[in-house]
Amino acid sequence: MAISDVQEYMHLTDEEIEQLGRELDAIRKEVEDSRGPEDAAYINRLIRIQRYLAVAGRLSLLLGTHSKRTRVPAAVTGATLLGLHKILENMEIGHNVMHGQWDWMNDPEIHSSNWEWDTAQPAEQWKHSHNYVHHQFTNVLGYDNDIGYGILRMAREQRWSPVNLGQPVYNAALATLFQWGVALHDLDIERIRKGEKDPKEMKRQLKQIFRKGRNQILKDYVVYPALAGPQWRTTMAANVAANLTRNLWSYVIIFCGHFPDGAMHFTEEEIEDETRAEWYLRQILGAANFEGGPLLHIMSGNLGYQIEHHLFPDLPSNRYGEISVKVKALCEKYDIPYTIGPLHRQYGQALRTIVKLSVPNSWTSSDQPEPPTPPRSRRRRSDSERPDRIRQLGAWSRGTSQERKAS
Amino acid sequence: MTVADLSQASRIRERRWVTQCALSRVCGCCAMSLERPVAFLGTGREVDRNAFHLPPMHLGCAEELRRTPGADPDWHLVTTSGFEFVRPDRDDPDPEPRFEPNSLVD
Repeated sequence: MAISDVQEYMHLTDEEIEQLGRELDAIRKEVEDSRGPEDAAYINRLIRIQRYLAVAGRLSLLLGTHSKRTRVPAAVTGATLLGLHKILENMEIGHNVMHGQWDWMNDPEIHSSNWEWDTAQPAEQWKHSHNYVHHQFTNVLGYDNDIGYGILRMAREQRWSPVNLGQPVYNAALATLFQWGVALHDLDIERIRKGEKDPKEMKRQLKQIFRKGRNQILKDYVVYPALAGPQWRTTMAANVAANLTRNLWSYVIIFCGHFPDGAMHFTEEEIEDETRAEWYLRQILGAANFEGGPLLHIMSGNLGYQIEHHLFPDLPSNRYGEISVKVKALCEKYDIPYTIGPLHRQYGQALRTIVKLSVPNSWTSSDQPEPPTPPRSRRRRSDSERPDRIRQLGAWSRGTSQERKAS
Repeated sequence: MTVADLSQASRIRERRWVTQCALSRVCGCCAMSLERPVAFLGTGREVDRNAFHLPPMHLGCAEELRRTPGADPDWHLVTTSGFEFVRPDRDDPDPEPRFEPNSLVD
């Protein structure tokens, strides 16, 4: 079954799908041609704000906690400012810089190869697990490791096991410790358990995680508390609160991207022979947006425009709002679902799915139209098992340019 | 500056590897994180079209690859800060995925 055979597309002819692809290409081209100083000013401004927040938070904790009268307000203020700094740095800056959204600026600092973010996962591993595995195989069961993060059963096609009964508890633990869950994401613990992971690569990754995690712990739980002197406990508690706030917020935003009702899952058969236009379609149907004002969108890394982010992951995030108007119009024109709702509803639906899928399918009903596919193993695939995009990427000549010319 | 390492260079014409390098932002020759500037090797025609087919590389790896005995004599080296990764369309006259540098570095 091809992606174009999914019920939501059945009304479109091949030519209509290709035309939709061309219209999305035109949107991309328009943004590429118009990005410039205003966009650069946006990301520079946000980085400045994020750094001011960090400095203000640290100063509040260092200077305000020594007097009994100001201790509590300073701790609350410091934790809040640090939490905001971490959210802004991880969501709108780090995640998007690592996609290469700002590489065109030719700024040595704001570049996908240099940015190391304020969280436990090494940037290099994030760029593999997120930029490649998740964005290339979006919502494809067995390939996209973001479907439940290897812990949760998030699709009815995934086999149920008694272990899934604990999902609500695993979910709470994942949300609370989200940065550490993400830190281990690219390790692929299931493949390690089965002895399928290259030991050399595993050792290299573990070293990276250990080094990054150690530095994060040293910064937040040793160095800054030590600088606070007698008030080290207050500073440490504020740092715990800031990290917890960031963990919970980023977990909620990420789970709203692909698990509300309407965001579909796909099988490997559906991505066989996928053209670029069909790849676009899978991104639209596999993602979900949420509504909100400009501040909410900035604090969520513009992932409220998850559909647009998946269509154009390397275009500047500050342009997703304007892109969304055009993408929504195209979805209406071609009668394609465009999943969107308020944040609380989107997260509520994701949470309901987590709870419902903790029990066997026969105990509950599906909340969304899904293609009738057989139960699938939840085993993750390694890079070598992930399929080529046969038609999308085209045939590849192995010869040199001269050989190609000669042929 | 990364030391040139061509351990993965035999894969630079594999579709899957090209896509993985593009999205994971790793060097096609050594599989380590790219550095700025990013280097591309391409023929004169690819340079003229600003559309390269080999994956992004470290500058040192690209220079080393160009010196290997099996290297294409028509390869030119181009450095850039950023690039667009373009997937070919169904009826695309160029059926290969390609890279379009968007901020050339001297």
